[in-house]
Amino acid sequence: MATAISTEKNFFEIKKGIASWLFTLDHKRIGLMYFYAIISFFLVGVILGLLMRLELIAPGETIVKPTTYNQIFTLHGVIMIFLFIIPSIPAIFGNFFLPIMLGTDDVAFPRLNLLSWWLYVGGAVFALLTLVVGDGPADTGWTFYAPYSVQTGTNVTLSVLAAFILGFSSILTGLNFIVTIHRLRAPGMTFNKMPLFAWSLYATSWIQLLATPIIGITLLMIVAERVFGIGLFDPSIGGDPILYQHLFWIYSHPAVYIMALPAMGIISELIPSFAKRTIFGYKAIAYSSMAIAFVGYFVWGHHMFTSGMSGTARVIFSILTFIVAIPTAVKVFNWVATLYKGSIDVQTPLLYALAFIFQFLIGGLSGLVLAALAADIHVHDTYFVVGHFHYVMFGGTGFAMFGALHYWFPKIWGRMYNKRTANIGFALLTVGFNFLYFPMMILGLMGMPRRYYDYLPRFTDLNVISTVGSWILAIGLIIMLWNLIRAKKTGEKVGRNPWGSISMEWQTKSPPPLENFDKLPELNEGGPYHYKH
Amino acid sequence: MKDDNHPHIVNYKEHFGTWIGLMILTVMTVVVSVTNANLQMLTVLTALTIATTKAVLVAYYYMHLKFDQKIYRIMLWVVMGLFVSFMILTIIDYITR
Ligand code: HEM
Ligand SMILES: [Cu+2]
Repeated sequence: MATAISTEKNFFEIKKGIASWLFTLDHKRIGLMYFYAIISFFLVGVILGLLMRLELIAPGETIVKPTTYNQIFTLHGVIMIFLFIIPSIPAIFGNFFLPIMLGTDDVAFPRLNLLSWWLYVGGAVFALLTLVVGDGPADTGWTFYAPYSVQTGTNVTLSVLAAFILGFSSILTGLNFIVTIHRLRAPGMTFNKMPLFAWSLYATSWIQLLATPIIGITLLMIVAERVFGIGLFDPSIGGDPILYQHLFWIYSHPAVYIMALPAMGIISELIPSFAKRTIFGYKAIAYSSMAIAFVGYFVWGHHMFTSGMSGTARVIFSILTFIVAIPTAVKVFNWVATLYKGSIDVQTPLLYALAFIFQFLIGGLSGLVLAALAADIHVHDTYFVVGHFHYVMFGGTGFAMFGALHYWFPKIWGRMYNKRTANIGFALLTVGFNFLYFPMMILGLMGMPRRYYDYLPRFTDLNVISTVGSWILAIGLIIMLWNLIRAKKTGEKVGRNPWGSISMEWQTKSPPPLENFDKLPELNEGGPYHYKH
Repeated sequence: MKDDNHPHIVNYKEHFGTWIGLMILTVMTVVVSVTNANLQMLTVLTALTIATTKAVLVAYYYMHLKFDQKIYRIMLWVVMGLFVSFMILTIIDYITR
């Protein structure tokens, strides 16, 4: 560590100008660049979602034609999955806070880190290009199922290449974090003294590193089939469409844990910080992350119960899927047990954490309905599934991300937001969210299929409720963002540790200096969550 | 850590032995294919097993995995195990359809 660099100035002040950001090697700046890029795409995705809800406010054609609707949900899915939720927490908060929480000055490979960001931007450009060239965005759904994806005239090749490039960004981030965690922990910080957020990133990184290449190859196979007519997946030229589904889900199910694990890591930070109490079952939480990452590799077939996969394989995948629920339940149990008899300080981040637990539980339990072979035959490809995965990804990971944003906001920008307004934003988001997605579950059970721009008149009432919910959610989102943007400029300045947390990132200044610490960080006595009463 | 600075020097005999091993395995692959050995389902399995063995030999001896820290071997085997499980689970679908 060079001692010449001033710790008087924070990482914003040390250098100015656009180039000092675009070519920065500082993990904090890269994290923030991810933040701005990812939030922008999230908002684009939200607008597409709102458009779909508007179309579905009444049966029949309301605002868009069927093909356009198909393109909208595909673009919505691709943006939300590949550009928002997969990078979200690791790329933003992992980049910003992992090195600080490990007590070091940067990730192991800062240049690779910058390259990951540029690859993200490159992938995003490809995704946006689909809007302006040829026949417009793909209309296959974000899953690009063959044989339709091989036959349709829309821009599948470009979309698939976008996902391919984004995959590399993800792999490099994973690699970087694994090496950082192995090599750069502060002296004395063994694996079992590591913050749980770091543990969750460690498990996530292994999935990013090992599963992502599979989707890469698979997507290239789609391109090969489209461009050169090689018969891989399309039965009319000798391929097997179910093979595509296998390959796609071998990655895409573990990818669900790329989304969920970092969120669980955030919750494991928020809860002890606001319950002011030692986390219950540190090792159980840490190791269950690894268990989830591991078992998560062997359950992909639950997406294929109605595809024509063999009966034997279906039973095996159904059983394996039930096993994943166990380590997840372990975590929920530990969070609730941590709150028990804690000195709970109800602040906005904690509210997000509680909403996470509530909504993730609904998402997880509805997942068990889908994992049960017989039940899934009924609800597969209905709105039940749409409700389920929004509860997991948005109600779970999305809310955890907002919680993290409210938790670390004072550390990143050195200012505090208006807590009352933040709570109002939170309340509207939560109410809107549940009005938006809970009716979808009921609609699914009633038999409304997903991915249609139209529906039977008897589904109207619940669809109207859902659409109104989407407006409430949108208002909540606007209030939340407006409150934070205002706070960034005019919020009250805060010191090092506004929440009274014992986590290492709160020992340094807010915002941190370039090399993260102005004095040597100290490990907390008795483990990272040992609060003394 | 200590291994980093003191590379293991593999002696000539070890290198040569590995080479012989690889050659024998190559001959096996060729023999299996030209004699059209009727192994049915096992044809792919045999070919893959031989190829994997060869890859492991190269990795262990020529790429010095054997003399490196244990963690690298663990990583290799975890990835291999994972890959094999993907294959097995997928193939179960095909052979029981
Ligand atoms: C205002 C917020 C949102 C609204 C109103 C919304 C609405 C919808 C609707 C109505 C569909 C179903 C389309 C159909 O099957 O006909 C859908 C699909 C989907 N949504 Fe959202 N959504 C929102 C946010 C999100 C978020 C945050 C994520 C991910 C983190 C997400 C991921 C997806 C995915 C992956 C699909 C499936 C697309 C496909 O079928 O290929 N959405 N969304
Ligand atoms: Cu899955």
